[in-house]
Amino acid sequence: MKTKEDILLNIKDLHVWYRVYSGYLKVLNGIRLMVREGERVGLVGEAGCGKTTTMKSILQILPPGDFHIPQGQIFYKGQDVLKMSFKELLRLRSREIAVIFQDPTAALNPVFTIGNQIGDVIKYSATFKDNVHKEKIKTQSIKALKEVYLPDPERMYINYPFQLSGGMRQRVCIAIAISSPRNLLIADEPGTSLDVTIQDQIHRLLNELVEKRNTAIILITHSLGVAREMTDRIYVMYAGTIVETATPEILFKNPVHPYTKGLLASVPKISGGGIARGIPGKLPSYLNPPSGCRFKLRCEQEKPICSEKPPQLLEIEKDHLVACYLTQR
Amino acid sequence: MKQTKNNEILKIEKLKKYFNVGKDKKGPIYVRAVDGVDLNIKDGETLGLVGESGSGKSTIAYTVVGMYRPTSGQIMFKGKNIGIEASRRALSLKKEIQIVFQDPGSSLNPRQTIEQILTLPFRIHTQTPKRQFRKKMVELLEKVELSPDYLYKSPPSIGGGEKQMVAIARAMALNPSLIILDEPTSALDVSVQAKIINKLIDLQKEMNLTYLFITHDLSLMRNVADRIAIMYLGKICEVAESATFFEKPIHPYTQMLISSVPVVTKEEENLKPKKVISTGEIPSPVNIPPGCSFHPRCLYKMPICSKIDPEMIEFSPGHIVRCHLFAKLENKK
Amino acid sequence: MRNSNQLNNSIAISLVRPKSIFWLNLGKNWYKFSWNRLSIVGLVIVTGIIISAIFAPWIIPYPEHVGPFVDFENALQAPSLQYLFGTDNIGRDIFSRVIFAFRGALIMAVLVLALVVPLGVFLGLIAGNFKDTWIDNVIMRITDIFLSVPPLILALAIAAVLKPTLTNAMIAISIMWWSWYTRLVYGMASSIRKEYFVVAASLMGASKFHIIFREILPNCMSPVFTKMALDVGWIILIGASLSFVGLGEQPPIPALGQMVSDGARYMPIFWWMTIFPALAIVLAILGFNLLGDGIRDMLETGVE
Repeated sequence: MKTKEDILLNIKDLHVWYRVYSGYLKVLNGIRLMVREGERVGLVGEAGCGKTTTMKSILQILPPGDFHIPQGQIFYKGQDVLKMSFKELLRLRSREIAVIFQDPTAALNPVFTIGNQIGDVIKYSATFKDNVHKEKIKTQSIKALKEVYLPDPERMYINYPFQLSGGMRQRVCIAIAISSPRNLLIADEPGTSLDVTIQDQIHRLLNELVEKRNTAIILITHSLGVAREMTDRIYVMYAGTIVETATPEILFKNPVHPYTKGLLASVPKISGGGIARGIPGKLPSYLNPPSGCRFKLRCEQEKPICSEKPPQLLEIEKDHLVACYLTQR
Repeated sequence: MKQTKNNEILKIEKLKKYFNVGKDKKGPIYVRAVDGVDLNIKDGETLGLVGESGSGKSTIAYTVVGMYRPTSGQIMFKGKNIGIEASRRALSLKKEIQIVFQDPGSSLNPRQTIEQILTLPFRIHTQTPKRQFRKKMVELLEKVELSPDYLYKSPPSIGGGEKQMVAIARAMALNPSLIILDEPTSALDVSVQAKIINKLIDLQKEMNLTYLFITHDLSLMRNVADRIAIMYLGKICEVAESATFFEKPIHPYTQMLISSVPVVTKEEENLKPKKVISTGEIPSPVNIPPGCSFHPRCLYKMPICSKIDPEMIEFSPGHIVRCHLFAKLENKK
Repeated sequence: MRNSNQLNNSIAISLVRPKSIFWLNLGKNWYKFSWNRLSIVGLVIVTGIIISAIFAPWIIPYPEHVGPFVDFENALQAPSLQYLFGTDNIGRDIFSRVIFAFRGALIMAVLVLALVVPLGVFLGLIAGNFKDTWIDNVIMRITDIFLSVPPLILALAIAAVLKPTLTNAMIAISIMWWSWYTRLVYGMASSIRKEYFVVAASLMGASKFHIIFREILPNCMSPVFTKMALDVGWIILIGASLSFVGLGEQPPIPALGQMVSDGARYMPIFWWMTIFPALAIVLAILGFNLLGDGIRDMLETGVE
């Protein structure tokens, strides 16, 4: 176990709203998230819960003009991202944090070669001091391609994305992300559009790279199984709030929040036994979100206090925080 | 209709479906989507068809339902050969075999209301007078636990899970004998999936339906299917009862697939085969490796594997496998 | 389980609720349309033109000036409160004539589109559905031929051969206009027919008629409506070009192009004779273009 003392990313009470025709979609409702150096963090939630919005907020790549952040702070290495200047943001995106997107086909430009695309990233993440020549960029690119176990990296360098399979394209995206040293990787559902065996390979590759370089990683996924195998700590997200967070051992042995429990029960198991009936109800409207806890309408144990204000994430045992009034007095 | 023995409702024999995708120096290039498949489904059971991309599982579904015409081979439904395109099939046959597609967004006409979508089967196949349509619609919606005001909504305004429920209601509307479900929940969240799968199982019991359930999600398959067939590059590798499939998988590809499934309990971890780690890419169906198509990625590869394609062998009653490792068994018999 | 009361309630609701998808989503559609302020400007202009066209005989200040009328005493008066756009060389109020001319322009556009759109859409649907068969080839090659001729030249040629009346001008324009719609719908139909909902309908046993007209057609109409709005502007322009050279409405009935041409020789001193009709043409085209943009935003974007 490495000692992970330094906090790299600290999101505090983040609220993000999107502007639509009938008002605001109040998507994020007080997100709390923390990533330490070298730590593997999983952000688990279903479609529409706000995981991608959170990711985009960290890098400030939300669609311009259509969003509003009424409150919250995102501290990266002690500095608030929401208050950064353009130059500082540029530095953040080019040297500190890298993203691996969900669909590798959409993430690669079809009219440029692989080498071109990795080279561009290396070029822009350098500073004047690094003195980048074409040759140096090329060697660094090929080195990155080797690290992701792509066969025949020299040839891959001049290939176009359409000549590669889905799994290979995702490896290229990973190569782009690690082509220069980063402190934090954000992987947004990296295996979802791929076959299960290839997905497994991609996840193991990410694991290996992250261990080797002591890079922190936020793995966004909708699969609890993937989070269990690939992370040191899991944040379970529902409707724009973090409902529970714990290490995988604790979370799967002792899930506390009704949503986590419902989700776990709904996951089919290869040991058989049928699937639970799912969670009654559906995601609340973001236009008029319910007051208090956003899960209350689907919760079988709803109490009057759940409508007053949203429950805070409180520690109920070591390394296990839950946002639910059922656990609090 | 005549029933064959064993109550087999669907029997696929040596089915092949090739797609012509062009020419090169040696002649026309074919994508061998389905390359010699034998399969049968018993009345009332759920047969699971599992495979990754390029395995041909969707192609089999589309050929059975009539979107494609088989290149060769037979498809026997209730004793009759139905290996022709849907446009040339009898109308009565069309209501016996129905299909639910993967993407709920594109399987419902976005410019129609749910009412219009669901009355279509009744308007085509029955003489129900228009006055009774609404009543039938509400009954149908009740079956999938949707309230009557869904009739006036249109697909873009309802969620993915609800759309899929409508697609299922449409498929069940006329009480078909066989329903093919092509990855019905792959595009949906786990909690929505749970609801839909449970509803499917309920409806199967209630209406005595037979399902051909296609998915790439093994853990889902374990809880849905009675028997499971696994496919790789157009051929079937192994067929077994659900429990046997997971407890004693014998084909190397099956083992590789099961070991890559992400699981959530220790119990499942212990169930997974440990030795086989996934390697290599899935070859393109245009360029299928010679001999056994899986041999480049197989841990137990033998010299014979790259030359000769193995035959299907019965490993134990109800458990068949296509692999040279077990050929000796057959010889011993 | 539902009781019969709820059943009856829902049946009652159905009698009242609008069935069409468009009206169900009216609020959202308006938002999409009005998101760009210019679209509203277009809507206002077009509404103004339509109202003036319909009510022209009753709202124009000098109704007799659109018929045979001469008043040489008041000829070539500059724009004033009495004659908003001034008068022409034989004393007729230009404002009244311009408003009245919109009538002819709009009638022409409406009639042309009423003829051309059903025909063009129908042919495009059939060709798209039977793609890669002889039906497709015959229809689309004929369409290609008509598309390759520059519209104005063909219109002039036809109008020159036939008698120069409004009807014949419309016929001339119609003859080549249908092919644009065929091309448009052909592209859409041939891609939509591969969508799963169309496949599902045919697997269900739906007739070809149902598939073409109930499944595919409604999904092709968005770009058609957009094009129709823009086309009104184009047809007004071509109609004006035809009447500029004397083909179209015959005097004394005013037509915009003809008024521009009549006033040309009085430029630049008596500028109002030409400029105001020309501006009217520009305004009409601008209005319909902006409206068309708004319609496109409303129908063709998938924005929530």
